[in-house]
Amino acid sequence: MLADAARLAGAVGRAMGVTWRNFWRKPVTLMYPDTPRRYPDRFRGLLALVYERDTGEEACIGCRLCEYICPPQVIKVEMLKAEKRNYAKTFTLELYSCEFCELCVQVCPTDAIVMLRSFDLATADRRELLLDKDRLHALGREFDPSWATGNRLRDMQAPPKAARAEGKGGKAEVKAE
Amino acid sequence: MSPILYHTLVAFVVLNAVVGMVTYATLLERKFAARMQSRIGPYYVGWPHGWLQPIADAIKLMLKEDIVPRSADRWVYNLAPIAFLVPCVLIFATIPFAPGLGVADLNIGVLFFLAVSALEVVGLFMGGWGSNNKYALLSAMRAVNQIISYDLPFIFAALVPVVLSGSLQMSAIVEAQRGLFGWHVFAGGLLGPLTFLAYLVATIAAENRVPFDILEAESELVAGFRVEYSGMKFALIQLGEYAHMIGTSFLGALLFLGGWLGPGPAVLGPLWFLLKAVFIFLVVTWVRWSFVRIRVDQILAVSWKLLLPATLVLLLLAAFVVAWGGSGA
Amino acid sequence: MEVVEIGYGGSERLTMNMGPQHPSAHGVFRAILTLEGETVVGIDAVIGYLHRCHEKLGETLTYVQYPSIASKTDYVAAMTSELAYVSAVEKLGKFDVPRRAQYLRVLAAELQRIASHCLWLGTWCMDMGGAIGGGATVFLYCFREREKILDLFEALTGARLLYGFHQIGGVRYDLPAGWAAQCRETIDVIEQRIGEYEAMLEDNEFFLVRTRGVGVISRELAQEIGISGPLIRGSGVDFDLRRAEPYSSYGDFDFKVPVETAGDCYARYRVRMVEFRQSITIVRQVLDGLPEGPIGSRPGVKSVGQVRVPKGEGYARVEGPRGEVGCYLVTDGGPKPYRMKWRGASFSNLSVLPHILPGVKVADVVAIMGSVDPVFGEVDR
Repeated sequence: MLADAARLAGAVGRAMGVTWRNFWRKPVTLMYPDTPRRYPDRFRGLLALVYERDTGEEACIGCRLCEYICPPQVIKVEMLKAEKRNYAKTFTLELYSCEFCELCVQVCPTDAIVMLRSFDLATADRRELLLDKDRLHALGREFDPSWATGNRLRDMQAPPKAARAEGKGGKAEVKAE
Repeated sequence: MSPILYHTLVAFVVLNAVVGMVTYATLLERKFAARMQSRIGPYYVGWPHGWLQPIADAIKLMLKEDIVPRSADRWVYNLAPIAFLVPCVLIFATIPFAPGLGVADLNIGVLFFLAVSALEVVGLFMGGWGSNNKYALLSAMRAVNQIISYDLPFIFAALVPVVLSGSLQMSAIVEAQRGLFGWHVFAGGLLGPLTFLAYLVATIAAENRVPFDILEAESELVAGFRVEYSGMKFALIQLGEYAHMIGTSFLGALLFLGGWLGPGPAVLGPLWFLLKAVFIFLVVTWVRWSFVRIRVDQILAVSWKLLLPATLVLLLLAAFVVAWGGSGA
Repeated sequence: MEVVEIGYGGSERLTMNMGPQHPSAHGVFRAILTLEGETVVGIDAVIGYLHRCHEKLGETLTYVQYPSIASKTDYVAAMTSELAYVSAVEKLGKFDVPRRAQYLRVLAAELQRIASHCLWLGTWCMDMGGAIGGGATVFLYCFREREKILDLFEALTGARLLYGFHQIGGVRYDLPAGWAAQCRETIDVIEQRIGEYEAMLEDNEFFLVRTRGVGVISRELAQEIGISGPLIRGSGVDFDLRRAEPYSSYGDFDFKVPVETAGDCYARYRVRMVEFRQSITIVRQVLDGLPEGPIGSRPGVKSVGQVRVPKGEGYARVEGPRGEVGCYLVTDGGPKPYRMKWRGASFSNLSVLPHILPGVKVADVVAIMGSVDPVFGEVDR
């Protein structure tokens, strides 16, 4: 009986000791949004369309691969044919249904659609989340893009032929640690 | 001024002080609990550190819609918060905060306190029954079981300092604790600490605090007997609970930790009293945030099989100590 | 509307609804309990509140699209759900998976197991201890640890909860620079913190009295009824898919499979606590022995119909944190399966409830539900 009481006292003391120790630790609270949160390089945030680096033209060629692969079918693209290359006439993305799975980024042959390192688009009106082409381009200029683009992802995933591409552009990631 | 006017004024001041203490006790508990859980408690309201949070909560509760379930027993349902609150606040009438500073320093003070604080179970049961809700009813059943079972060890534990001091009057009990290590918590070797421990456990149980809060177990009964109350009625119930908690903390400080005795001039007495009561409150809070709750049959087993025999034995021991050493201080 | 008077005549039975919205239903689960006083005499379980037609989605989405969606069945342990689907497709299509990808899959699965068990412990203690009580303390500590693992996954894949990490023939993302060091640091911290939780709970009379002897699943019942995972290992059946049918190069790693014989909530708790530490051991072994090489045996996804699986049917299963998660596919040679069926671990585990709940008190219902650890994404799919 006394041994039971002693064991109970010991257990109670240990449990209260753990809470006491945590009392003195620094809280893990991050005072967001006063303190900005550091997003990792590969963060799958908002989507955006980008321009080509060398010519400054829109990178999207309206090929609709992203539209076909999107699982919830939130992307709708119309192609505009021109002489040298095609463009996207309209490009709508319903961000409220997007799953942020990055499959559209994965298939894009020209690295036109990317995901950004931010998701700060909270709004009270769902219609603001129906992003059209201008909005997507504006988002691309506003936030930093993540590391992932179509070619980088495909190079990372493909078997050894990618090793030759690694020497070329330095876009593949370090393989091991 | 006439005695009636004087006493009314004092009662009014004490009542307001109690309500103020209770609201800020909720903030203290939330900040203390938050630090133990690696987070910051209320912060933005009343920046910094949430000083206006209790006021904001009180205003919110006052502005909420008062919903009465259609099939509830109207009289019982509406009167329950009041029946719960009144005993919980009435106990403060007997506590003297300093020699001569109190509403009424009855010469049966401790008896009055214990008797009135046991009346809260009536309000609780009225709330559970009047809500016409199975969860509330289950909780009310458990409450009646638990609070009545734990009132007995609570009373016996509180009677030990009475026996050691030889009086039921609260100021006399404090006076009997004068001198270094004169506090009742140090009395009679192991008697004092064990009784204090029994008092704390009985308080936690009579207060429905974890680990004995089966009757308002959020994960099963979703707030128990309070589940159908909203708005000001809920505020009254919360007020009553915390007032009872603080009241028993003050009683514990008075019976075991020497009340207003402490180093320094006599005018610091109420401050020491407050600090000791807050200490007991924080220990109870610390226990609350460290343990899971136990089942109702296990709670009753602890009360009847462990605490009640223990406190009876301690009371007998106290009687021996007094007979040996002469009664009084 | 008719007003119903509740009657309580002592020996009469009371029907109480632990409805789909309940702080401890672990999701959307409706249990219609028949009570006699405080004792449960019968349970009528209603599920289906979270049905999202996964099996139909499997028929309309191709093999390339579905792995991202597969994580949404058991959303708490997303990596193992994806692994089940991808393993089934690879088995039927006879695609092989390079060794580095297999090791990365093991790494993801074991880190996911640690994260899932953190969530289990936190929510279980919160159910038993109250949302404003000691349970909430353990809950916040466990989530503090889980956040660290989620940060690791965020650095690896970019998403915190639903990853899309697996692909047919390998994985989609390789380790970024500095990730392995961060991972080692994280699991060191977690190992030490698990010690703290055990100190808080083990030996703690309040916890033991709530879990010892509560919800006993006998060994015969466990073998008959088709439950899996920590539930059978807590009842004395020594079966773990990672050791019985090693998939994804689990055979290369050395780990113990915990088995307890008591069959009560405490036994299942001990099994999961040992699994915590064993998962940490496996993660360390993977990081030490990670081979070089490609992370996929097929070229990166470029079009939606890229993967075609010849006609056939087959079943692949993995050991998730809750038990055996399996995917049964019937394929017809095209880019989409003809039929896909998920074997959800929690769905089968819930079938044990009508056998163990009668006779326990109401307060034990939450303790038992917590130790069964259902996730309703898997139950309702």
